Amino acid sequence: MNPIAIDVKNLVKVYHKRGQPPVRALDGISFAVPRGQIFGLLGPNGAGKTTTLKILTTLLPATSGSAHILGFDVERQPFEVRKNICVVLQENAADLYLSLRDNLRTYGRFHGLDARETETRANHVTELFDLGEYRNQRLIDLSGGLKRRLQVAKVFMVDKQVVFLDEATTGMDAINKRTTIQAIKQEARKGRTIVLTTHILAEAEELCDSLVIVDRGRIAASGSVEDVKLIGFKFVHVTMMFRRLNPRTIAALRQFTPVSMETRNTSIEMTLKKESDVLKVLRAAKRDKNFVNFEVGGATLEDVFVELVRMPREESR
Amino acid sequence: MKAILAVMYREYKIRISSLTWLFYDLLMPFAYLLIFGIGFDRAFSTGIMLSGEFVTYNDFFLAGVLSMACFGIAINTSYGFFVDRDNGIFYEFLTYPMTRGQFLLGKITFNCATSLVQTLIAVLLGAWVLEIGIRWELLLFVLAAVVLGTSGWFFFLTIFALRIRRNDMFNTFINVAYFVLLFVSSLFYPIEPLPGWMQTVAYANPLTWHTDALRYFTIGLGDLSTIALELVGFVLFLLASFWLAVRSIQRLI
Ligand SMILES: Nc1ncnc2c1ncn2[C@@H]1O[C@H](COP(=O)(O)OP(=O)(O)OP(=O)(O)O)[C@@H](O)[C@H]1O
Ligand SMILES: [Mg+2]
Repeated sequence: MNPIAIDVKNLVKVYHKRGQPPVRALDGISFAVPRGQIFGLLGPNGAGKTTTLKILTTLLPATSGSAHILGFDVERQPFEVRKNICVVLQENAADLYLSLRDNLRTYGRFHGLDARETETRANHVTELFDLGEYRNQRLIDLSGGLKRRLQVAKVFMVDKQVVFLDEATTGMDAINKRTTIQAIKQEARKGRTIVLTTHILAEAEELCDSLVIVDRGRIAASGSVEDVKLIGFKFVHVTMMFRRLNPRTIAALRQFTPVSMETRNTSIEMTLKKESDVLKVLRAAKRDKNFVNFEVGGATLEDVFVELVRMPREESR
Repeated sequence: MKAILAVMYREYKIRISSLTWLFYDLLMPFAYLLIFGIGFDRAFSTGIMLSGEFVTYNDFFLAGVLSMACFGIAINTSYGFFVDRDNGIFYEFLTYPMTRGQFLLGKITFNCATSLVQTLIAVLLGAWVLEIGIRWELLLFVLAAVVLGTSGWFFFLTIFALRIRRNDMFNTFINVAYFVLLFVSSLFYPIEPLPGWMQTVAYANPLTWHTDALRYFTIGLGDLSTIALELVGFVLFLLASFWLAVRSIQRLI
């Protein structure tokens, strides 16, 4: 068995719209995802994440390059690919005039389950995602978050080898986000390969075995979460506590052009690009008579992300 | 096969979600025949001359009504694409384990079943209430022609429903298509008395081919060799439309 579930080589996608300049949404993207992994596609708005997923799920032809799912070519063997995947699209997708239960039923049938199996699994995900009380309501009458919950619940009804999730948890409340994350983890443990995109970096950090950061159609960084964080190894994260925050201290600290800076009630968190700045920052902080203490640590995924996608193109390559 | 059944199951669920719609769908052709047909039947009380024979307008118009009903079901089904696209579910369908062709075939199989039921209602009530002289031995051919017609028009309209992305533009397109195809055809009146240019257009119109075949199969009027040619033409039209419709799905996103 091929240990690689998804193999993407040099994928390019140029959108042509009449009367508008062409948009190069993907500019030569390559990555490989081993079976059973949770793989994250991260990147700012318009980076090309959804375009990548659309090509991998046979919705969109690539301009050039190749992509294989479980060894099947997405362009030449789309039917084989579709037999092995299930997808949560970024846009909402539901039969608004059917009841929640009927939406689950049709989904089961489409994925080859028989009537009895469909009922069993529909009941299971209805319970898992706490949708029982809406069972007989038409989707058009449900809130946005509930529609999203149903859309995500559907993919957990079927056992497909590869699962694609495009910002699956968007619009969900905290409890259902948790449920979704737990369900994703559980599915991966069963040996499925999961590809997800997200803007919530903590989510990516918690879930992903490996990830790529895409920016303007190119890969800006890739590897395991730890690898990617290492790109920011020279970044230093400093947390300083004060009895009370003084605007003048904040202004003074800004002078060090941190990657990120956040002020809370009585603390300031900063990510610095140069280790040598740490002492200078602490000196500036100590000048404030309300200074209490400080902590120094490594960079978070978010720091790396912010820094990478902020770089001008030449540097990020 | 499983995929086609799944599409049919979903069409069925959608259809029974509105009983008014179902009722309208099934009775529309007969209602048309009853109101429009009776009006014209009285207005042209001498009947209509066709292939050298006089028939009542009701006899003549039954094939027109059935042909129009196939066209109507095809329009409704192709409008469904706009609803599905707005709901986003259309794109999700395209990631399901089925081919584009199976998706279209599943949709049309269910809707052909609806066409068949409404045809039977119109034919039976037409014979009973309006005393139309049905050639019962040809009934199976009527049903086959209804399946061909509904599918042909559905595939044809699908090409436009998928390429014209705007609902309002598609509306305009349907209005124009309806106007040209229906009125320059053998649907409401025989073609022979029409001026030359109109005859030419009418004979190039697949709706004429389909209506002529239905007319032959319902009341036995028409020239068999012409009808055979028209049927072959319609099947080619259907196949070409199917091929283009499948291709249109690929260009969609
Ligand atoms: N159908 C389309 N036609 C033209 N351009 C498009 C089309 N779809 C996407 N684009 C462009 O391609 C680029 C990548 O878009 P894409 O949707 O893949 O981004 P994304 O990473 O998913 O962003 P987001 O985080 O906002 O979902 C953007 O510049 C977008 O404007
Ligand atoms: Mg996106």
